[in-house]
Amino acid sequence: MNAAAWICLLLPLGGALAITLGGERLSRRGAGYVSTLTTMGAFAAAIVAFVSMLGRSGDARGASTTSWTWLEAGTYHFGLTLLTDQLSIVMMLIVAGVGSLIVAYSVGYMEGESEERRYFAYMSLFVFSMLLLVQGGNLLLLLSGWGMVGLSSYLLIGFYQDRASAIAAAKKAFVMNAFGDATMALALFLLIQHTGHLDYAGAFAGAPHGGTIANLIALGLLGGALAKSAQLPLHTWLPDAMEGPTPVSALIHAATMVTAGVYLIVRTHPLFEFAPKVADLAAGLGAATLLMAGFIALVQTDIKRVIAYSTMSQIGYMFVGASIGAYPEGMFHLMTHAFFKALLFLSAGLVIHALTGEQDIRKMGGLGKLMPHTRWVFLIGCLALVGVPPFAGFFSKDAIIAATLQHGAFGYVLFGCCLVGAFLTGLYTFRCFFIVFRGEPSAFVKEHLHLHHGKEGPLSMVWTVSVLATLSVVGGLLQFGPLWHPLTDWLGPVAEPVAEASNWQEAIASIAAVLLGLAGAWVAYELYSAKSMCVPKPVALFEKKFYWDELYDTIFTRPAALAATMLGRFVEQPVIGGSLTMITRDVRVGAGGVGRAQNGLVRSYILALIAGVSILAVVFLATR
Amino acid sequence: MHGPDIRYYIAIAGMLFVIGALGVLVRRSPLIILLSVEIMLNGANLALIAFARHVGHEDGQVFAIAVMAIAASEVVIGLGLIVAMGRRNIELDVDKLRTLRG
Repeated sequence: MNAAAWICLLLPLGGALAITLGGERLSRRGAGYVSTLTTMGAFAAAIVAFVSMLGRSGDARGASTTSWTWLEAGTYHFGLTLLTDQLSIVMMLIVAGVGSLIVAYSVGYMEGESEERRYFAYMSLFVFSMLLLVQGGNLLLLLSGWGMVGLSSYLLIGFYQDRASAIAAAKKAFVMNAFGDATMALALFLLIQHTGHLDYAGAFAGAPHGGTIANLIALGLLGGALAKSAQLPLHTWLPDAMEGPTPVSALIHAATMVTAGVYLIVRTHPLFEFAPKVADLAAGLGAATLLMAGFIALVQTDIKRVIAYSTMSQIGYMFVGASIGAYPEGMFHLMTHAFFKALLFLSAGLVIHALTGEQDIRKMGGLGKLMPHTRWVFLIGCLALVGVPPFAGFFSKDAIIAATLQHGAFGYVLFGCCLVGAFLTGLYTFRCFFIVFRGEPSAFVKEHLHLHHGKEGPLSMVWTVSVLATLSVVGGLLQFGPLWHPLTDWLGPVAEPVAEASNWQEAIASIAAVLLGLAGAWVAYELYSAKSMCVPKPVALFEKKFYWDELYDTIFTRPAALAATMLGRFVEQPVIGGSLTMITRDVRVGAGGVGRAQNGLVRSYILALIAGVSILAVVFLATR
Repeated sequence: MHGPDIRYYIAIAGMLFVIGALGVLVRRSPLIILLSVEIMLNGANLALIAFARHVGHEDGQVFAIAVMAIAASEVVIGLGLIVAMGRRNIELDVDKLRTLRG
């Protein structure tokens, strides 16, 4: 089984290296196939690992292998350790499974781009980094994977490198994530100082229970999770990240990387349990994010940005679940979200592909008649996102909402936020759906629709979307709180849930959430259906995304720019530049004076030489 | 020990050296300067051989031979330069060659 884990980790890396070293020898399409096959191989290896894990009893399922001591510092040893336990295998299956579908989709989507090899090398690198993140057996390896997914995300957001906005978005994402990486590294320093361990078991056993240190450690980890998962207040990079190609948005900014924060909280849940206030903070931030992102999604006009804000909103749900101790529910929503959000992005990709790159929903409309297949899969994604039974989102989201009721008074606040969020989800999701697909085709669509040989997309794009649609329909049946809960049992030995909703709480939450979601959809139908093809009046607060970008601009960017200008004017130019100017000027003046002695007459040099020697001779003779 | 005392040798060697040095200083023709340098070297050679004899050791003579070899090569280079200057119709006057002044 451990061999399978290693193969799972290393195959994508091998794919990335093969594409990079192969260069021109590999055709563009060949690069796509190499990337797809290695990712699928990783998925197969993950399945093998999973099956062999099934054969063992609960506590013996986790296994770690160390290949060599990776880093040694004094008494600290950090091995290159892979940990395959119940939690990481779930993540491995999601990452490699959804990843291979999306990479296969990219073969069709990216066809005709000029730099497909670079794209697929980056994609493989990303899958490797993400697997390293989830398989790392200690926090240091997790941090390395954490940094590397940030890097590959940066590279892929900035894939269209001739587009200035893409480069700016890539930089923004990288800086935000680097901030999170830094706080996480600080938390790890504290852990090393106080426990001496960074492997999970050792760190959890030695970590202080309560107190400032425990709070600081949890805060540092939370900072990393917030940045990676685009939660308040470090969320501003995710909408801009939609500058990348659509499959990248699906893989990195919806299905896998942005959910790493949730994985981190579940993985290090004892550290959060030792610091309950920080856990509450995380839940509160998650709830705030899910509301705020829902409001902003209402007024976005870019189809990918609508989905991006909905991603932030859904990760907010996961944060709420993971932070109040409903770990299996959080992971469950992570999984179903990976399915239906990837589906939404990829079917949006079909639309964008067919409209040759247009992403503005105001220009779309009536696409349902022209692209019936896409309409159906998009509708499935929407229903799963809104949480209509029996689609996937119903089972996972409602479980989280129900679990909030177990969290005391604060839990009721979260419960309320989650329900409002459910209404907003229905509203913005179906707003997007109705605007894009209902009614008669708009003039823009008639003019620009460009079907692929009469089909809605290349084969590789259509079948992957269909698989994801199937998963979005049936994926939720994996767990249904009151009746069967294999995921909770499966994750039990690693992350024992703290909050488990009772049956009547499940019932209340489910009914309320479903009704509110449907109400949102109905409002959307009334407002945006074919009867009134109006596009909403923008609300300034939402349109400006709650002024977060402006806030950061005022707090950080402008003062930094001002300080830099001031330092340049009052420190650099007078002190550094001035001193250099003075030194050169003095040297030049001195050299001019000395240079006069250099008159070019050989005889004067010789005279000086002889005079010098004579004087020396006289001195020697006199002092003998 | 036969012959004059070491002091005479040293005196003659010193005189030769000073004559050569004055020649280098006051003459302007490179050819003469080269000759004067040879006289200086010969003065030094005389001193070396005198001391070798005085001390009763051959080292000084070996040095003298080395100095002769160097003097010969120096003359080759110097004369080569002078011939080159002549070919280019450059006036043979060291005071005119002042391009390297500061």
